[in-house]
Amino acid sequence: MEKMLEIKKLEVSFRPAVGESVKILRGVNLSVGKNESLALAGESGSGKTVTARAVMKLLPNNMNFEKGEILIRDRNVMNLKEQEFRKIRGKDVSMIFQEPSSYLNPVFTAGSQVLEAVKGDGPGRKERTIKLLNEVGLKENVFYQYPHQLSGGMQQRVMIAMALINNPGLLIADEPTTALDVTTAYGIVELLKEMMEKHGLSMLFITHDISLAVNFANMIAVMYAGRIVELAGAGEILNSPLHPYTEMLVSCLPEKYKSGDKIKTIEGKVPDFRDLPKGCSFHPRCPYKKEICLREEPGEMKRGEGIVRCFKYGDFVEA
Amino acid sequence: MQFIPLLFGMTFISFVIIQLAPGDYFTQLQMNPEISPQTIESMRRNFGLDKPVIAQYFYWLGNLARFNLGESFSYHVPVSFLIGQKLKNTLALSVFSIFFTWLIAIPLGVYSAIKEGRWQEKMMSFFAYIGISIPSFLIAMLLVFFAARTMVLPVGGTTSVFYINATGWEKFIDYLKHLLLPGIALTLAEIGWLYRLMKNNFLEALGSPYIVTAHAKGLSDGRIYFRHALRNAVNPMITIFGYTLSSVLSGAALVEIITNWPGMGRLILDAVLSRDLYLVMASLLIGGVLLILGNLVADILIAAADPRVRLR
Repeated sequence: MEKMLEIKKLEVSFRPAVGESVKILRGVNLSVGKNESLALAGESGSGKTVTARAVMKLLPNNMNFEKGEILIRDRNVMNLKEQEFRKIRGKDVSMIFQEPSSYLNPVFTAGSQVLEAVKGDGPGRKERTIKLLNEVGLKENVFYQYPHQLSGGMQQRVMIAMALINNPGLLIADEPTTALDVTTAYGIVELLKEMMEKHGLSMLFITHDISLAVNFANMIAVMYAGRIVELAGAGEILNSPLHPYTEMLVSCLPEKYKSGDKIKTIEGKVPDFRDLPKGCSFHPRCPYKKEICLREEPGEMKRGEGIVRCFKYGDFVEA
Repeated sequence: MQFIPLLFGMTFISFVIIQLAPGDYFTQLQMNPEISPQTIESMRRNFGLDKPVIAQYFYWLGNLARFNLGESFSYHVPVSFLIGQKLKNTLALSVFSIFFTWLIAIPLGVYSAIKEGRWQEKMMSFFAYIGISIPSFLIAMLLVFFAARTMVLPVGGTTSVFYINATGWEKFIDYLKHLLLPGIALTLAEIGWLYRLMKNNFLEALGSPYIVTAHAKGLSDGRIYFRHALRNAVNPMITIFGYTLSSVLSGAALVEIITNWPGMGRLILDAVLSRDLYLVMASLLIGGVLLILGNLVADILIAAADPRVRLR
């Protein structure tokens, strides 16, 4: 099957204003096939957004690529010049963001910002824009309105229209519903599903909400401390999670409670990248930890369609 | 429309403060043994200075309503005549320096924000820092010294000796030549902080999330800088521009005095020192009106530039 996106052994480092630089992506592997949606789930600070930004080559100035490859439509884009890669942005891969209110430019109309994204000239650009605005559920007059006149949900719809105007094969959605209230968020998720179907879109969907991930995507990658610790189909994640972290995340889902139950949480916090625990970085929070977990880092072990990084399933050590 | 009560309040408070200080213009004259106390008393009465402060204020206000700014104590001519003579020169100087300050500082600020961290930016910021650190009067003094030594620019006054025989065009050129020295001094004094302000605004705009969106759309750098960032970076500058307008008359005072440019600066300074009440009041009034006008202009411009303000 054609791969829309493939990331191989991606490493990204963060250079703080003071102190040494630290690796915040530590060998991320993932791929998104055609018409497939992959959800990248994990706690804040696990590296989800950095992964997304890295694919767009829009890392903040204090972050650097270290190693690895990024392939978009089987084309390695790591060594492309900024000028070359610019042609790919918005055309082959687009991105939508967490807070549409600050990611839209306040001084331009919604329409002009969508229109501006159209690649190439030619007649009918405005008509195309308005047609797409209608398609994402907005009225024609939104074209002439400024971002502050729109609600959060409408702003996100404008962002979606902006991202899809050139029919990209791949859309990266970085927590597109986090800043929205629940009902609006539901509308956006439904819209994204509809767009995937209609436009043959593949999606990398980033979220910290595991139930949203399961609901939305066919494949789920669970991220922890800059690595993917488990990759599996949505059903497997929900019904038979392999990694202890995934297991704990799933057991925290409110759907699993009876009324009156105490809400579960995962003890501890995401480790500090400057001071990662030796061995498996999840071991301080892990109920199954063994002696080897304190010493060695588990490598990627194949399990069916997916992978898992945990010594419960073998003793393959990360090189 | 709130500016009319504002003007009343402003003039009233300044009037009272000036009159609160002990003595008046004629106090100094009492030192002079050749002027009899009776003469001074009658002069006070002529100018209405024997009445209570409130009455004096309303007397001044009444005159103002008839476009009469009163008479200067020390020059014995109408204040409007005195100011009219000097206003032109100060306006010429201020407009010259504001025009060149903005013309130079804005593009340099943008350029150096784009080059942030590179040597171009470091060099410009270094010079800007020097410019901000040196007070305007010192810059003016250095320039006067330089001009006097090299004779490239005329020093002092607005005209040369041959002015009387010159044609209209030559007169204009001569005036410009004289304007150059105070004009450059004032421009150099102002350019540093305006550059820094513009640079910081532009940097802030460049760090905004909507710039990430613009990159994600695959826009070119030029479009991102000059459409997305510039439009947002310029908005706060408009307010600054309004304030600049309000300082056209007073901002140049120090430079005027040092370069001997016959503008309002010297006139107002002397008026305050000698407590020439109506002259001081007139200059305060003009300053107040300019401040209000400047803000009004800024409000209109901001409404034109920023849709969030326009629709409120």
